[in-house]
Amino acid sequence: MTDNKSGRSSFSGVSRRNFLTIGALTGAVSVAGCGDVLSGGSGDGPSGTIDASGSNTVAPITSWAGENFENEYPDVLVDVAPEGTGAGFQEFCRGNSGVQSASREITGDEVDLCSENNIDYGFLEVGLDGLSVVKNSENDWVDNITLEELQLIWEFEATEEVTRWSDVRDEWPDEEMQLHARDSASGTFDYFTEAINGEMGDIRDDYSATSQTNEIMGAVADNLHGFGWGGLGYLRDIEDDQPIEAVPVESDEDGEFYLPDQDNIEEGLYSPLARPLFAYVNLATLEEKTDLIGSFVRFYVNGAQEFARDEDFYAAPDEVTEENHDKIDDWLDQVGASPDDLTVQRD
Amino acid sequence: MSAETDDALFTDIDLGWEHRKNRIFLGLIFAASMFGVVMLALLLLDVATDFYVGITEYNISLGEFFTRDGSRREELSGFRGAIVASIFLMVLTAILSFFVGVGSAIYLEEYAPNNRTTRLIEANLANLAGVPSIVYGLLALAAFVNGIGMGPILVAGAIALALLVMPIIIVSTQEALRAVPDGLRNGSYATGATEWQTIRRVVLPAAIPGIMTGTILALARAIGETAPLIMVGAIFVNRVPFGPFDRFSAMPTQIYNWANEPSQHFIHLAAVGIVVLLAFMFVMNGIAIYVRNRYETEV
Repeated sequence: MTDNKSGRSSFSGVSRRNFLTIGALTGAVSVAGCGDVLSGGSGDGPSGTIDASGSNTVAPITSWAGENFENEYPDVLVDVAPEGTGAGFQEFCRGNSGVQSASREITGDEVDLCSENNIDYGFLEVGLDGLSVVKNSENDWVDNITLEELQLIWEFEATEEVTRWSDVRDEWPDEEMQLHARDSASGTFDYFTEAINGEMGDIRDDYSATSQTNEIMGAVADNLHGFGWGGLGYLRDIEDDQPIEAVPVESDEDGEFYLPDQDNIEEGLYSPLARPLFAYVNLATLEEKTDLIGSFVRFYVNGAQEFARDEDFYAAPDEVTEENHDKIDDWLDQVGASPDDLTVQRD
Repeated sequence: MSAETDDALFTDIDLGWEHRKNRIFLGLIFAASMFGVVMLALLLLDVATDFYVGITEYNISLGEFFTRDGSRREELSGFRGAIVASIFLMVLTAILSFFVGVGSAIYLEEYAPNNRTTRLIEANLANLAGVPSIVYGLLALAAFVNGIGMGPILVAGAIALALLVMPIIIVSTQEALRAVPDGLRNGSYATGATEWQTIRRVVLPAAIPGIMTGTILALARAIGETAPLIMVGAIFVNRVPFGPFDRFSAMPTQIYNWANEPSQHFIHLAAVGIVVLLAFMFVMNGIAIYVRNRYETEV
C-alpha cells in the first residue's frame, strides 16, 4: 500500500514536470516568434521573402545569387525551389513565385497560362550552358562536324537510314555508329532537337536514350564507334580520365568549327549549341515589393557573370548585362518606380 | 490400425531427409530473421565509411558543421539551420499532437461505449497509422500551405508531422491506459471519486511513463521523416528559423538536398548529417527506453 502510494506520487511528479517542460517550451517558441517579428522589422534595405521557382539546371546560379544577396541583406530570404523549368512555369504563371529560372524560353501554353492569370513578366539572360557533341578519343576520322551532318544523323528521317559513318561523310569508315543521347524528358533534349533538327522533339527513334548524361559519356568512352551529345559539365568531369573528347562543331555565326571552351562559348562562336539560361521576373511582385524584388534582380544581374562561372556555367557577354539592366529600368518604369528607389544600384 | 499399414507408413518415411528438411527450414527462417540485421549493419557501415572519408579527406570540421548554415559552397556549408529547424519542428509537433492524441486515447479507453461509432473511430485510427507519410504532406500542402496561404513554414511542417504521429500516440496511450489495473480504478471509485478525478489522479499518473515512451518514440519517427516536409516545400532554405512562422529546412530535407548535389563534397556532408540525425534518434530512443525502465516496474 505504501509502495503503491509512493509510486503514484512519483508518477504525478513526473507528469507535473512534463507539463512544466511543455509549458516552458511553448513560452520559448512564442518568445522566439516575437524575436522573428522584431528582426524582420529592423535594419535598412530590402527585407522579406523572395520565392524563386524553376529550372533544375539554372537553380544553382539563382540560388548562389540568392545566398550572396542574403549575406549582404540579412533580412531577406531567397527560397529557390528547383522543380524544373516546366513545373516552375506552372507556379510562376499562377503568381506563386516572383522569380523563375528557366533553361529555355517560355512556351506558348505557358504564355497562355500566364495571361489567363494576368501575370505580366519579363526575362533576363543570366548565363550560358554548353552542349557538347562527343566521340571516343581513339576515333581519328571525325575531326569536325557540320550542322547539316548533325541533323542528318539525328533527325527522325535518319531512323534505320543513316546508321554507318560512311552514310554521313563518304571518306569515313563503313562501320556502324553507336548513338547515345538524352531522352525526351529533358530540357537538353528539347534544346538540341530544336537547334539541330529544327523542331522540338524531332529525333530518330533507334538511338540509345537515357535520362543520365553520365551514362552517355561512359558509353562513348567505352566504344570506338560511340557518338552522342550531352551537357558540357558531364564531359568536363570525365574527359581527363577517360578516352572521350568533344567534336568541333560548325558555327552558325561564321561557318568555322569551334570546340566548346569558355572563350568560344562566351564570345558566342560556339553556336547554336550553347544555350542561354534565363530568369523570368513577375512584374506584379516587382510592383508590390519593389525594393525587395528590384534589388535582388539588380544584384543578380550585377553579379551574373561571376555567379554563372562559380557554378560551372558560362557567362553571358557584357552587352547582355547592359541589356538586362536596361530591361530592369523599363520594368521599374512600368510599375511606376524609379531605379533610384532600389537599395542596389547597377555597377 | 493393422500392422501392415503401420509398416508401410514407416518404410515410406526417409527420416534422414525429414531431419535435413528440418535443418534447411531452420536455416531459412534464421537467414530471414538475420536479413534485416545484416542490411541495417551494411547501411550503418556505409554511412560510417562516408562519414569517416568526409572528416578525413574532405576536411569537414565538426565544429564548423554545427555552427554554420547550409550554403551553395560546400566548404562553407553546415548543419546549424537544419538542426535548429528540426528541434523547433519536434517541439511544435509534440504540442500539436500530444494533447489531442492523449485526449482521444483517454476518451476511447475510459469513456467511449463499445458501439459502432467507437469501432469506426478505432478502425480509422488503425488505417491512419498505415497511411504513407507523403499523403500527410500532400494534405498539409493542399490545406495549409496553399489552402489558407500559410506558405512552407515551420507550423505547416509541424501539422503534417503531428497528423502523421497522432495515430501512434493514440495507440500507445491506449495501451498504457489498458495496462493500468482495474483494481486501481475501482479503488478510486469506492472512495467516491468521479470518473475524471479517477483518471486525473489515479489512471494518468500510472500510465504517464507508457504515454511518454510512446510519444518520444513517435517524435523520434517524426524527426527522420522526409517525404511530408518535401511536399510542404521545406527543402531549399539554409538559414536558422527564428520562429514558428519562418521558412525552414529540417535535418532530413537538408540531407536530401545535399545528397542530390553532384559534388562528392556535398555527398559526404550528407553522410555527416545522417550521423547527426541518427544520433538524435538514438538519444530519443534511449530516453524512451530509460523512461520505460525507470518507472514501469513500480506499478
